[in-house]
Amino acid sequence: MEVNEEACFNDWCPGCGDFGILRGVESALSEMKLDFTDAVLVSGIGCSGKLPHFVAGPMSGVHTLHGRALAFAMGIKLANPSLKVIVDAGDGDTYGIGVGHFVSAGRRNVSMTLIVHDNRVYGLTKGQAAPTMPLGEKTKSLPKPNINGPINPIALAVSSGYTYVARSFAYDTNLTKTLIKEAVAHKGMALIDILQPCPTYNDINTNEWYKERIYRLEDDPEVHNESETLAKMTQAIKNAYIGEDKIPIGVFYKNELVPTYEDRLKENISNYLTNYPAMQKIEEKGGSVTDITNLLEARKVI
Amino acid sequence: MLRLSWLIGGAQGTGVDTAANLFGAAVARAGYYIFGSREYFSNIKGRHSYFTVIVSDLPQHSIDTTVDILATFDAETVFQHFDDVTGYMIYDKAQGNIGVDKIRSIEGSIAKSQAKILEDNGYGITVADVVKYLSGKGVKTIPIDYGTIMGNIINELKMNPFVAERARNMICVGASLALMGFDEEHIEAAIKQIFAKKPEFLKLNTLAVEAGIKSAQNAYSIKELKVTKSRVQLDGNTLSALGKIYGGLRFQSYYPITPASDESTYIEANQLLQTKNNEKQGVVVIQTEDELAAINAAVGATLTGSRAATATSGPGFSLMNEGISWAGMNEAPVLITYYMRGAPATGLPTRSGQSDLKLALNAGHGEFARIVIASGDHTEIFSDAALALNLAEIAQTPAIHIIEKTLANAYSIIDQDSLQKSIRIERGKIVYPEAPEHYKRFAKSEDGISPRAFLGHAQMYYTGDEHDEYGHISEDSSNRTWIYEKRIKKLEQVDKYLKDDQKANIVGDAETVLLTWGSPKGAIIDAIEELKKDNIQIEMVQVRVFSPYPKELVINSLKGKKRIIAVENNFNAQGAEVLTEQTGIMPTNYILKWNGRPMTRDEIVNSVKSILKDNTKRVILNGGK
Repeated sequence: MEVNEEACFNDWCPGCGDFGILRGVESALSEMKLDFTDAVLVSGIGCSGKLPHFVAGPMSGVHTLHGRALAFAMGIKLANPSLKVIVDAGDGDTYGIGVGHFVSAGRRNVSMTLIVHDNRVYGLTKGQAAPTMPLGEKTKSLPKPNINGPINPIALAVSSGYTYVARSFAYDTNLTKTLIKEAVAHKGMALIDILQPCPTYNDINTNEWYKERIYRLEDDPEVHNESETLAKMTQAIKNAYIGEDKIPIGVFYKNELVPTYEDRLKENISNYLTNYPAMQKIEEKGGSVTDITNLLEARKVI
Repeated sequence: MLRLSWLIGGAQGTGVDTAANLFGAAVARAGYYIFGSREYFSNIKGRHSYFTVIVSDLPQHSIDTTVDILATFDAETVFQHFDDVTGYMIYDKAQGNIGVDKIRSIEGSIAKSQAKILEDNGYGITVADVVKYLSGKGVKTIPIDYGTIMGNIINELKMNPFVAERARNMICVGASLALMGFDEEHIEAAIKQIFAKKPEFLKLNTLAVEAGIKSAQNAYSIKELKVTKSRVQLDGNTLSALGKIYGGLRFQSYYPITPASDESTYIEANQLLQTKNNEKQGVVVIQTEDELAAINAAVGATLTGSRAATATSGPGFSLMNEGISWAGMNEAPVLITYYMRGAPATGLPTRSGQSDLKLALNAGHGEFARIVIASGDHTEIFSDAALALNLAEIAQTPAIHIIEKTLANAYSIIDQDSLQKSIRIERGKIVYPEAPEHYKRFAKSEDGISPRAFLGHAQMYYTGDEHDEYGHISEDSSNRTWIYEKRIKKLEQVDKYLKDDQKANIVGDAETVLLTWGSPKGAIIDAIEELKKDNIQIEMVQVRVFSPYPKELVINSLKGKKRIIAVENNFNAQGAEVLTEQTGIMPTNYILKWNGRPMTRDEIVNSVKSILKDNTKRVILNGGK
């Protein structure tokens, strides 16, 4: 008897915001008709890291290391730019241990989608404060009020060079789905920070707490010509700091005028997109196809 | 056989490298081989750097502690090296009055010890005193009026003196070549090749060389040799890059670190490839934000089917450990080129060492197959780089290729056709382009190796967690038992694949064996010939592959030997420790050196003689400046 051989048992806590995000991802993939032939899900470590294993449908998943999902994803994407690469990572993953990669991903503007499961705690290690938890907040899992100030993911993404920056709420699966579809279609690096309750360890930022505060952003986030860049960035950062009483969700910033990393590589390797590393034939009948004669000639002394 | 040792030194940033390269190119044109070893500080400008170059009619693989011709154009080089010179010293006549106490860039302890040599012999501490000291020892000195020569050239070319000054070293090269008796057409041709597109520098350097040639008389009368085959001048970094490119590398990620980055920048500069089927191919080279990103991006790239690698040295390698562990868990064939330098911590960033062999063998937490190979000379670096890419794919596991700083930065003149001989591309078990339905990335198999499909070609899962055949997380204890073993036992396939001479170099057959790995090979090979002159027969066993360890081969080669002398650039003789762990065999004696400098031929010769005479247990070497 073969039981559950292809699917993993979903072991998230009942009521976890991850379920909402998972549904958003699944609906987006299905509406975009993406499968393992043209996309891959990459994840970090923690509850969110298990997401690729839980996705229904023919998709491939790469569950990586704590904080390093973006680095793996970049390697996958740049070696095979035909794949749509979607990264799911936690707030600790992305804004804590992996924050260096988070910032650098903005500088490169590789066309990838980063979905951050932002519940303000480290769930799988029993509820320590994550980098998005406000200073002084004391959830039931903390022995003392949080002694660190929070990072502002939206503002950090905008200032790091992300060209699509959005925020969603885990239980607004419709918005999550729409944003994921936009982000995947976006040319450049996209962040969707998803506010999410952790029913087990975060007794402050609960489903109800969020529902009372969130509202949809109305501003046009898009840079239509380069002269608008500063104004749109300023608007996005201002919206990012609106605060805890009223929390805007939606798209904060969008700019497709910045060349992607793939475009930049194309400047150096003209056929990069049509003959990328993963598809290059490197051997023929067991021999190398690479001809290094010219490289050796350049070093010839006699 | 001719073996002449020439040393040129100067402040970092004054073109010592360029001078040594041009010297090598000129000597090569006269039909000779060189092996040139480079020493420099972790510094951009001003500290003492030098090149020791061995000139010979046969390929050489090591340098000597003594120097036949010391070529200087600054006072510090005179003070640093005068006690090693046996033949000639070229020096700046105008600097006679400069005392060693006036040189700020020289380390105080070195200034003191060098001054002491002069004072113990009754001399003062100026360059002029060094000249007197050397005359007393029978070393001839050649004074050159660099200032006047440069003044004349600057006047003639109406050049900015700061720009022109960089040609000062070429006067020194010219004088050296004249002293050896080389025809000036060779150096002029070499200059023409390098400065073909910069007529101003062509003229400048030609004038400087000509002035140098006029400053010295032929003393060595080295005869020109006829060469029928093409030869190339290459350093270890470039050879590794070439080996990787030839071996099908198409993705390299790296973070800047000495002495590894030159490899990556070379690949990036030459990323557009020519192929035999005229298909345009290119290598993607990414400078990442740190070594964590470098290793993990490379691992990610391997999952798509691209051959991928990174290059780093000790500090970066330490950071890569977690990524290597993930690659082991996920059977990802990533290559890490490990440039070994002086450790621990930042250590001696620009000096060499072999202290990290055991780190490489145990890189990453957990038990899994790691392939570790170590190159002993320049041609090995090229073939091992390509081989490592094969081995990683055959066993589907990380491969670590060790290259020491001393070989990375050394130059050799190599017969061009010796490089690409018989290198094959073996990709192991690959499912391409399409995988079957219900594909299992980690399917059970006899040899522990599962057919590998690439992302985009099949549905598959990877995870750093323990997993089942599909790659889904599994904590099932029985699953754990078999799949854990799978990741270890597949290393046997690498052992089966490798030929004996790829596993270890065994040279000669004698009752005394020098057991080594990596760069000491060069000094040993050259010393074997030298020791024969004294009727001392030596065998060398150089281990090239440390994981999987070639147990049988090593046991057989060491069986019945009277003396096994471990020769290594570290304190604990780590290669010998691995030997003991794997075979139970212990060395009888040791020749060790950990001062950051390479072993020299004369150090090996003298150490072997000392061990044979007095049975010295541990000979500790401290040669080199």
